[in-house]
Amino acid sequence: MTHGDSAGDVPGRSRLHAVPSAAPDQRAETDDLLRAVARGDEAAFERLYGLVSPRVHGLVRRVLRDPAQAEEVTQEVLVEVWRTAARFDPARGSATAWVFTIAHRRAVDRVRSEQAGVERTRRVAAGSAETPYDEVAEEAAARLERQQVRHCLDALTEVQREAITLAYYGGHSYREVAGLLETALPTVKTRMRDGLIRLRDCLGVELTR
Amino acid sequence: MTDIHALAGAYVLDAVDDVERAAFARHLDGCESCALELAEFRETAARLADSTWSVPPPALRTAVLAEIRRTPQERPGPAGRSGAARAGAWRRRLAVAAAAVLLAGGVGAATWVAQEQRVRDARTEAGAARDQAGAARDEAARIRAVLTAPDAVVRTDAVPAGGRVTVVASASRDEGVALVDGLAAPAPGRAYQLWLIEGTKATSAGVLPAGRGGGTKLLSGVRGKGLFGVTEEPASGSVAPTMTPLVAFAIT
Repeated sequence: MTHGDSAGDVPGRSRLHAVPSAAPDQRAETDDLLRAVARGDEAAFERLYGLVSPRVHGLVRRVLRDPAQAEEVTQEVLVEVWRTAARFDPARGSATAWVFTIAHRRAVDRVRSEQAGVERTRRVAAGSAETPYDEVAEEAAARLERQQVRHCLDALTEVQREAITLAYYGGHSYREVAGLLETALPTVKTRMRDGLIRLRDCLGVELTR
Repeated sequence: MTDIHALAGAYVLDAVDDVERAAFARHLDGCESCALELAEFRETAARLADSTWSVPPPALRTAVLAEIRRTPQERPGPAGRSGAARAGAWRRRLAVAAAAVLLAGGVGAATWVAQEQRVRDARTEAGAARDQAGAARDEAARIRAVLTAPDAVVRTDAVPAGGRVTVVASASRDEGVALVDGLAAPAPGRAYQLWLIEGTKATSAGVLPAGRGGGTKLLSGVRGKGLFGVTEEPASGSVAPTMTPLVAFAIT
């Protein structure tokens, strides 16, 4: 972490920003759009929808593994983004991280409530209704970022990778992960943290003040 | 670096339970370096979503846009909420999380609900039942007071053989609440006994009903007690533990 203290620094409010992002322009654009959304700008929300909805839907669907529920939760997430946009504070991170924190949390909440048995039947019923929208529009930038994420995941140790992917993509608690990997609880906790540190460094995510 | 700090990864990956989330969030409030690490982890985790890409059906866009047009937005809060206000918010979340544990199913929850029911039922009875009802109501109020105490500390640990024990302790009230859930049923004529441990001295904090693998207990005299432990004992309870605790952990 470096503290900006050089003479060339812009004076004023300190803020955190991730550098370098794979697509810095898109990052700034997303931040600006979310701030406009916080002011009630519906046109900005439509543009934000275009930027983030494929990844929100992709993530939620990957965690839930059920197209119908994934659509429901995706809708909940995007409406929550609209409703609570004023809570976004650019000094504490990027708009993208803010949106995906909400998306992942919602997806995991649904998985856990579903594990309690509430919608299991629905899920089975919906299983056949596979939507054709999956194999989709690929932007070059998105493909590039995906490759980078995969490359960095590959650079982790096996336990780190398994622990992170089971939790993030599988929606498993660290206790479940410990059971699945037959590994002690403290080890799993540590591997999740170590793994995120390595991923952070590999992806070049860095917060400067 | 405290043990709770090790949860940072699991916390960002949403791989913790509600009690741990509340405890970690509380820890974050006073830990600036954690907040920075966490912000970096959030950015990192968000990048994991890059590898998921699935354009939602056009109907979803229409539905979302229609819904936001009739959904009022939260107004921004007053700038720079005070630390006290934040602490208050965490405290409420903590209490909610602890209450969620109480109500989340399992034996502990059943005890709690049964007790509340008992209080209500007792209110409709006259005379002789009044003292008992008063005691139950008093206990329920004390449990609630512990869960919402400003200095309440939540500690939880898994029992290696299965099950989970959570203790919410308030030094200012000198009371705590123990939630035992999902332990194997003890052998006939035996029960789980709870202990507050100070140095090498263990003081009994109550015995769960015989044959039960869980329950809720109000703990008195938690101040200065470093550890909480659970052993299996004869159903009448023992004066001192007769075995190495099945689980023991710090509650301060």
